[in-house]
Amino acid sequence: MQGAGIGDGDLLVVDCGLEPRPGQVVVARLGDGFTVKRLVRWRGGLALAAAHPAYPLLPLPADGDHQLLGVARCVIRCC
Amino acid sequence: MALATVLIDGNNFYASCEAVVDPAVIGRPLVVLSNNDGCIVSRSAEARALGIAMGTPYFKVRAQLERHGVVVRSSNYALYADMSQRLMSTLERWVESLEIYSIDEAFGLLHRPAGGDLSDWGRALRRQVLCHLGLPVAVGIAGTKVLAKIANRAAKVDPARGGVLDLAAVADVEALLETIAIEEVWGIGRRLARWCRLRGVAHARALRDMPAGELRRQCGVVGLRLQQELQGHACLPLISVAPAKQETCVSRSFSEPVQSLAQLREAIATYLVRAAEKLRQQRQRAGAITVFVRTSPFAPASFYSASATVTLPLASNDTAVLLAAALPLAERLFRPHRALVKAGVLLQQLQPDDLLQHHLLVPTTPEQQQRRERLMAVIDGLNRRYGRGAVQWAACGLQPAWAMRRSRLSRAATTCLAQIPRVLAR
Repeated sequence: MQGAGIGDGDLLVVDCGLEPRPGQVVVARLGDGFTVKRLVRWRGGLALAAAHPAYPLLPLPADGDHQLLGVARCVIRCC
Repeated sequence: MALATVLIDGNNFYASCEAVVDPAVIGRPLVVLSNNDGCIVSRSAEARALGIAMGTPYFKVRAQLERHGVVVRSSNYALYADMSQRLMSTLERWVESLEIYSIDEAFGLLHRPAGGDLSDWGRALRRQVLCHLGLPVAVGIAGTKVLAKIANRAAKVDPARGGVLDLAAVADVEALLETIAIEEVWGIGRRLARWCRLRGVAHARALRDMPAGELRRQCGVVGLRLQQELQGHACLPLISVAPAKQETCVSRSFSEPVQSLAQLREAIATYLVRAAEKLRQQRQRAGAITVFVRTSPFAPASFYSASATVTLPLASNDTAVLLAAALPLAERLFRPHRALVKAGVLLQQLQPDDLLQHHLLVPTTPEQQQRRERLMAVIDGLNRRYGRGAVQWAACGLQPAWAMRRSRLSRAATTCLAQIPRVLAR
């Protein structure tokens, strides 16, 4: 997520009390891992987009094995 | 306006906490083991569906669990205590007063709007807890504690209720009370349940309607209160301030039997250090210390169980003072050739730490006292900040062989920065 200013090893502050909305950077559970992506509208539903255009869009079907956990609020970079 | 009582509790609390910090276990059967990886104390819904019974010793079902691909976890009390605290502070904002009843259970009191149904309120509460903490809870709402408990149970049993039930919104309360077996009524123990059954009182409705005099003769005012609560008259008040503790105990089973005095001393020291820390947290001092040890009850021929108590001249919560008093007890209790499987430390005669009765023959100045208190505060602060054991007492030993077995412990994902969950950021 370099394009969104999130680098490897950064600390991410996530607000789980906010309802994720399209356009926001969100933390989601996909299958058995956590991932951070931008939430976007896609074909009448939602999808997760990486900041880098080379990575494909991940559609979020209503019955899929995923869960939106919260909205990323800020990044702490360790130097 | 009438008051409503609500009971909120976590579903499969320990198992649910594990799923919050490790998404890999979501949807898979999971069990949590008691101390020393002994028995099964919590099961995910999937593990329940496999028919794994609560309280089963782990070694008995180990092969079965492996066959079904069940995830097994040691008790991670740091995680559960932290999630519990978060749960309770979330709940506090939703009710007018809150009684924390156990690690995963709380009663709350709130006003019921005239003729109002609190089902939607309950659903919103449930949604917020799920969203903020990732924990599923059940919400039971009624006029009294005993009825709230029943509503909570009914909310859980019937999936159509979605984990929330307001008894005031139930059309046929009679029928619902008849589905609650007498054994499941809060406050009914095994003996009382048998007594009720003998009289044909088999469910909550029958208990509610039985002659009060008969109930009173058998179990006095306690039974009468219970009946009143079932009838909707609240007589068990909410206890929102926990009463000061009378005793503090730390005891553990050993991972392997302790056979040497040096090991027993280490164990007693370790438990005492923990107990003293609790004591300072509770802002109390102890006036007496009891140490107890025992061998395995499954080898009756050589069974040995003993305890010894020492009264302190001056009540204290200074670890060094307590250690100096407790370690000689370990020596007194130790017997060669008795393989100890469990030991513990009990701090007694607790008193608030802002009142100290001085002793004529134990001269201490307030300055000395304050220096010691500051030292303890520094030690506690370091251990809180950098993890338990960051500053340790040498008497506890460095690499204890007897330490509790926790071979399947998950990470301290909510209390230690180095162990927070990792997120893939590609």
